[in-house]
Amino acid sequence: MSKDAPIVHVVDDDASFLSAISRLLRASGFSVKTYSSAHEFLAQHDAATPGCVLADLHMPKMNGLDLQSVLDQTANPLPIVFLTGHGDIPSSVRAMRGGAEDFLEKTGPKKKLVEAVTRALTRDSREREARARRRELRARFDTLTERELEVLSHVVRGQLNKQIAGDLGIHERTVKLHRTAITTKLKVQSVAELTSLTQEAGIFPLPFPKGQ
Amino acid sequence: MCPDEERSQPPMSLITIIWSMSASACLTLGGISFLIWCRNRTALSNLVFSLLALGASAWTICELWMMRAATPVEFATVLRWGHVAVWLIVVSLVGFVHFYLHSGRSWLAWTICGVRTLLLVVNFVVGKNLNYLEVTRLGHMRLLGESVVIPEGVHNPWILLGQLNLVMLIIFLVDASVTTWRRGDRARAITVGGSIVFYVLVSTAQSLFTFYGIVRLPYVGTVFFIGLIAVLGFELSGETIRASQLDRRVREVEAGLHEIEERMTLAVESADFGIWIRDLVRNEIWATDKWRALFGFPEAERLEFNRILDRIHSEDRDTFISAHKKATEGDGSYETEYRVVLPSGEVRWIGSRGRAELDDAGKPILVRGVSHDISGRKLAELESRELRKEIAHVDRVSMMGQLASALAHEINQPLGAILRNAEAAELFLQSASPDLDEIRAILADIRKDDQRAGTVIERMRTLLRRQTLDKRPVDVGELVGEVIALVRPDAIARRVKLELAVADHLPRVFGDAVHLQQVLLNLIVNGMDAIDEAKPGDRRIRVIASLSGAQAVSITVSDSGRGIPADILTHIFDPFFTTKPKGMGMGLPICRTIIELHNGRLWAENRPEGGASFQFTLSTAEQTVTK
Repeated sequence: MSKDAPIVHVVDDDASFLSAISRLLRASGFSVKTYSSAHEFLAQHDAATPGCVLADLHMPKMNGLDLQSVLDQTANPLPIVFLTGHGDIPSSVRAMRGGAEDFLEKTGPKKKLVEAVTRALTRDSREREARARRRELRARFDTLTERELEVLSHVVRGQLNKQIAGDLGIHERTVKLHRTAITTKLKVQSVAELTSLTQEAGIFPLPFPKGQ
Repeated sequence: MCPDEERSQPPMSLITIIWSMSASACLTLGGISFLIWCRNRTALSNLVFSLLALGASAWTICELWMMRAATPVEFATVLRWGHVAVWLIVVSLVGFVHFYLHSGRSWLAWTICGVRTLLLVVNFVVGKNLNYLEVTRLGHMRLLGESVVIPEGVHNPWILLGQLNLVMLIIFLVDASVTTWRRGDRARAITVGGSIVFYVLVSTAQSLFTFYGIVRLPYVGTVFFIGLIAVLGFELSGETIRASQLDRRVREVEAGLHEIEERMTLAVESADFGIWIRDLVRNEIWATDKWRALFGFPEAERLEFNRILDRIHSEDRDTFISAHKKATEGDGSYETEYRVVLPSGEVRWIGSRGRAELDDAGKPILVRGVSHDISGRKLAELESRELRKEIAHVDRVSMMGQLASALAHEINQPLGAILRNAEAAELFLQSASPDLDEIRAILADIRKDDQRAGTVIERMRTLLRRQTLDKRPVDVGELVGEVIALVRPDAIARRVKLELAVADHLPRVFGDAVHLQQVLLNLIVNGMDAIDEAKPGDRRIRVIASLSGAQAVSITVSDSGRGIPADILTHIFDPFFTTKPKGMGMGLPICRTIIELHNGRLWAENRPEGGASFQFTLSTAEQTVTK
């Protein structure tokens, strides 16, 4: 994971506007990279670097909405803020539904622009952390054997060892052994911690019953 | 009863029986014929025949009387009165030939009648009668076992004229018969002409022979007359039979006609046509039930032209009247469409066509017309027109919308760049040591973007200005009329009454007809929108074209809407100013531009009586050309 400063990627086919807005963003303290088309951006894009996208909605070949749907397919989709010469409702609705951070007019107030970019970067870093944590948890759960996962599913449902042994047709002692292996591998101390971790990792699709 | 008398006069007198029966037979036949004439006054041959029969009957009685005369004086007197019967026989015989055979020379006929009348006068003036100056004695002879009188006396010389008269009659009859024969009516020539000639000939011969004593006989013309009457009576009865046959034929033809009429009615009704006939001579109107249903008249109600006119929609009445005028005063036919307002208030479109029938002098005597309900078609027409208009509007709006959208995008790019550059420059200037090179670059970019925005605007203006005007002399009446025709369906659909007043002899104006019509159309449609907004009871738009000064024509479009609020009045010609939810705010500015390109003026004002009025002036073609 890169510890680099987040970058604002500005994509616009209008060179004049592109240089003007990058000046403003730099003067406002952001790291900026400019691209004259969506293709150029995608070619240079490194999903590992945090940041956000500021794209013109109306561009030849691939427009802003197309770019948004391509970005959504990547491992680390960057939040996107759209810019447009004038707002038209159907496009803005589509953009917001697609998860756009904001939808701004090019001649809109500077304050709104800076706020939107800041918000997009914050969201990116938050989502990035959540994704990293989830990946790390998954890695931990991946070390469990199938039997251990089976036992875990019963444990998080709040069943006692005797019940689990009955259900799985194994000795109660064996259940205890499995539980010890699980807590060691997942680096947890209590059943409560185990339950919340399992929930966070999204391992089991079933809703968890109340903890003990 | 005296036995002596019984001996001298046998109880069964054949002469009495024959002569009195003949007289009554003649009277009977004559009576029947007379009755026929009474019922049909045009059957003059029947009347003449009845007179002939009457004369024959009277003569028969005279003959019987003469055969039984006791004294010469009695005989002479009876014969004198008998000549009245002879006159009647001769005259009616001539008349019969004339009326029945339709032949015979009229000069001969008149001569015969004239001479016979003269002889009748002579008969009463000269001597005892036409035959005798003096009857000297009565001889007797036996006839049919009875003693009958035979006269002797001094002959009247006028009798020669009487005999000549009879010869003329025979010539007349032969000539008439021959004419009839030649005409091809041979049966009649033989039965009627032949028998008349025959009987007149033999009776004349008999009377001559008797008169000159060649044959010793009393006057027995009756024997021949009864034959004549019988033949003619038979012939006339045949005529009566023919008449009844003809009557039957007529009935059959009438039945056929009725059948044809029924079929016509069926065809017409199944095609949903109503027929009406206007009799201009008797001033009556007849119409089929279907027609009455179309116009909402009950079956029994009497139809009058004015009442029909009342049923027609007030706006279409002039159309209807002029169509009928065209039929009765013009080329004899009409074809028109109009609305009928039924008593229930329902409005119905009627398509009607018809033709006038003229008399020999070329004067119309009646107008026949067929009408049918075309409401369905009219409604579809109106709807499709509405739809077309809607599509055109949507087209225009979306085109304008796209244009505006493209313009906004093109302009906002440089504007956005300028704004961001300026904001960036401000931020740079806030730092302790501003990067002046950067700021210089920013300013250069701002200038560049400003020029770019200017170029975009200039490009748009050239695009809009590219439409050129094709100016030529335009007839104002035609111009206005075409626009009115174009909007009339909309106006009807929106229940707005369009009034048009174009001054006579307006000079032509110099302009682009299509653009001027666009202006007029815009103003009229705006007026209708204003009426719809205000929903007043009086829904009308008035278009007036009149001379304005010596070298200009002014056209005014006024509506019965609410008028224009004072604060809006000064802005209505501003681009993008609109009070309509779907409006672009470009209609009136474009109108004003078009009129100004024509060197005219367009302005708006509120009318004192309510509603708004838009007026524009155009210079006349003559004035522009001389300029």
